[in-house]
Amino acid sequence: MKYVRSLLARMTGLFTKDATDDDLRAEMEAHLEMEIAENVRRGMHPDEARRQAILASGGITQATEAVRDQRGLPLIESLGADVKYAFRALRHARGFSAVVVLTLALGIGANTAIFSVIRGVLLKPLPHREGDRLVYLRQSAEIPGGANLAFSVPEVTDLRAGARSLGSIAEYSDWSGILRGRGDPLRVEIGLVTGNYFEVMGLSTVIGRTTGPSDDGSGVPPVMVLTHEFWLKHYAGDPTIVGKQVDLDGNSVTVIGVLQPAPSFPDRIDAFTNMVISPHHLSAQMVQGRSHRMTEVVARLARGATLDGARAEVAGVYERLQREYKDAYNPSLHYRVEVIPFKQALGERARMTLWLLMAAAAFVMIISAANVTNLTLMRGIRRQHELVVRAALGAGIGRLRRLLLVENLMLAVAGAAVGVGVALAGIRLLASLAARYSPRANEITLDSTVLGFTLALSVGVALLLSFATWVPKNGAMGSAIGSGTRRLTASIQKHRVQRILVVAQIAVSVILLAGAGLLTRTLVQLSEVRTGLGTEEVLTMQVPLLNLSTPGAGGDQASWFRAVMQADMQAKGVYEQMRGELAALPGVTAAGVGSSTPLRSSMAAFELKAEGKAVAVGEALPRPDFRTADPHYFDATGIPLLRGRSFVNTDVFGAARVAIINQTLADQLFPGEDPIGKRVAWTGEVLKFSPISPEWRTVVGVIGNTRDGGPEAKPRGVVFMPFAQELSMSGVLIIRTDSNAARLAPAATKIVRRVVPNAPIENVMTIAQIKDERVAPRRLNAVLVSAFGVLAVIIAAVGIAGVLAFSVSARTTEIGIRMSLGADQGRVQRMILGEGGLLLVVGLVLGVAGAFFAARVIQGMLFGVAPHDPATFTGVAIVMAAIGIGACWIPARRASRIDPAITMRAG
Amino acid sequence: MADKLDVKQGTLALMILRTVDVLGPLHGYGIARRIEETSKHRLQLNYGTLYPALLKLEQEGAIKSEWRQSENNRRAKYYALTAMGRKQLERETREWHETADLIAAFLAPKREAK
Repeated sequence: MKYVRSLLARMTGLFTKDATDDDLRAEMEAHLEMEIAENVRRGMHPDEARRQAILASGGITQATEAVRDQRGLPLIESLGADVKYAFRALRHARGFSAVVVLTLALGIGANTAIFSVIRGVLLKPLPHREGDRLVYLRQSAEIPGGANLAFSVPEVTDLRAGARSLGSIAEYSDWSGILRGRGDPLRVEIGLVTGNYFEVMGLSTVIGRTTGPSDDGSGVPPVMVLTHEFWLKHYAGDPTIVGKQVDLDGNSVTVIGVLQPAPSFPDRIDAFTNMVISPHHLSAQMVQGRSHRMTEVVARLARGATLDGARAEVAGVYERLQREYKDAYNPSLHYRVEVIPFKQALGERARMTLWLLMAAAAFVMIISAANVTNLTLMRGIRRQHELVVRAALGAGIGRLRRLLLVENLMLAVAGAAVGVGVALAGIRLLASLAARYSPRANEITLDSTVLGFTLALSVGVALLLSFATWVPKNGAMGSAIGSGTRRLTASIQKHRVQRILVVAQIAVSVILLAGAGLLTRTLVQLSEVRTGLGTEEVLTMQVPLLNLSTPGAGGDQASWFRAVMQADMQAKGVYEQMRGELAALPGVTAAGVGSSTPLRSSMAAFELKAEGKAVAVGEALPRPDFRTADPHYFDATGIPLLRGRSFVNTDVFGAARVAIINQTLADQLFPGEDPIGKRVAWTGEVLKFSPISPEWRTVVGVIGNTRDGGPEAKPRGVVFMPFAQELSMSGVLIIRTDSNAARLAPAATKIVRRVVPNAPIENVMTIAQIKDERVAPRRLNAVLVSAFGVLAVIIAAVGIAGVLAFSVSARTTEIGIRMSLGADQGRVQRMILGEGGLLLVVGLVLGVAGAFFAARVIQGMLFGVAPHDPATFTGVAIVMAAIGIGACWIPARRASRIDPAITMRAG
Repeated sequence: MADKLDVKQGTLALMILRTVDVLGPLHGYGIARRIEETSKHRLQLNYGTLYPALLKLEQEGAIKSEWRQSENNRRAKYYALTAMGRKQLERETREWHETADLIAAFLAPKREAK
């Protein structure tokens, strides 16, 4: 009650200031008069009586101020005045304000942008219902390509039976098909899912229905659920598509619904269908083959079950399986299953890069905050006189602090506002980067949490600055006024905080520069890795003609194989026709056809045995890539033939089966021997489910290695078979030119479009473009970190120059005295350079030490360069030292130009 | 003069209320003199302490003010206790005694132990 009344009175006080001020003055004057009268009555001289009374009052102005504070709500009341004053003060210090706002804007902008991305990609809750109960299962083994093996149907069945904490398990396999209907034929990425998939994932549709248990098994109509993104992109958000039939690989499929927006995982998915679309997925071999792993598994934890519980159960199931099925789980290959929270699985690839950028941005923030603090400290020292006068005139210490706080808040908020602009621009750039790593890139926005983060950052900076500034102490005011301003400013030696901040700036800059240097060197190393191809002026395009599911879908396997082979033979004729026409184009020096694009991974890899080379028990068979090539392929791609012969026109169906292997496989299978004439054969359980022959093939040639797994991966073993002798699976046209290959693309596309109007044309790219695509994410990393590094160095240089310049101006008198006593210009310059040099050396030493540590952390992102790479570190130290000395030079020169006569007189 | 005491926060309000209660409506000068005399000049009240305290009590409704002619024919602002102020005075006096007793009880045994 008391407080309410008091608050009401004080709020009224806000508006009745003038009237009550008069009242108060009258009251205190009366007090003073009565006191004087009393003193006179006691026998004092009237003058002395007045003096004593005023002394006893303790200062009428201060008392008036104190009463005013009690009367109104001083915070609100003086805020307006503070803002007005702060604005005026900042306008007078335009250069200072601009530097502070810009520095903060860069720091805050970079942090906000990267934090936005991290939040969107890593932290935000999933759109899935109870998304934190979703887990992704990953089976791995120590074989090439074994990082994610997927699961076989029997394994999924065993997990369902044995791991009850995984309440429900959904299966998913990726598939791709050609969608015909609206517009050009389009390759779509399909998720083949079990009926319970959407129930398990906790996703629902925005239109129509999801699949259910009734869509499982064979003999049910094929149905399709579109992803939200694909629906918007391909069907322009047309709601009437639901219920209509679409053509997928020649099958008529009913669209039953459009899914809510959700990240697609593990790869881009355009639409989901039930399993019936792929006869292979329902075949007995698929269902019974324990090593036939084609299924990804997601599960929802059962009520009350924990992640650790589920992990223990899954481990138990696998222990039992490995005992029971020794041939399916070779113990030396260490088969294991991880249970990963779904959100974590989604962010896996992006995590390292994003935290790297966040660290770099945080470093930039540290440097800019340090710089702004230093600038504010120096400005504060220049303003000491002003602040002392203000305090003497009745501004309380609290009031002065508040004034500074308002000023700094205005700067920080302006910095944040500009920073948000910087962030908005940065987010666009970063979202395109993140899209390479994360399916959640489209969830990146500058949302309210991120804005809150920005605001907290700027308020934090403002608070820091306000308390870093010197204000006169109670009681110390007299000496402050008496000594005047000049004496208050001591030499830089005394300003320890500023020196520490400069050292920190240099150290952090060195760390950033070292990181940028290492990442750039990694990039250079990667682009210097030889692809293994003779030329880059080669145009490639993928033209899939064969639909594996189309012919004889639903029939038994043998007739399906026969139908596939027949369709493949027809397709081969079409490829040869296109190849011939492309080869006749002007500027084309060679044109070939094969199953795969060089520098890209193959679609298939199987176990391979070599005649007379028994593999020891417990040792894995090699799993080389399965590729095909026509007689012109190696010439067109520029893959060098090292031994033996290339394929010839007589290597066709019915002729002796031949193969060409690459150097890696030759070394692996036939070390120290001539591989020509040796025989190899595909083997393994998986082969039973494909039309690929297990017959022996004679090695007729050895080719050079190519970097198909990316520049940082070791070349894998590859087996090429004649295009005309093997199932082609897909067809890639390779066109080598004598000039710019990219310019040939329109003419080449036109020919293909004319020959096969209904086939999609995919990945029209030159070898140079493919090569570039592989290093692009790393280039962006290196560019961003380098940009941060350059930014840091500029800010640090401004910082060191500013502090020294300030030191010089504070020591003008001292330098003047030194010079009049005989110190020459060189001596003065050396003195100032020495002062800066000390800071530089300490900063460099600390920075190099920090960089060693930081480089160890990012070791995983480096290639071909050691984390302690001496060249990088030396280079960084030299660059930083040169810039630092340059920054010291300007104030040192100014110091040496001081005219003793002028400064002595002024002092 | 050397060992002047600072007026403890909160105790000044009690002193003012008591003064106005004992002497009736009184101006600021009178209140200050009375408090200084009662403290045997160990306390000295400057304006910056006294007037904010008076205003605070007035805002809380414990005292009310009025301009009047003083005994010396001078205009001065007089402060008088309100009903609410009287209650506050009684309550705070009681609480003060309780606190004083408590502190005394705390400090007593040590002296006996000696």
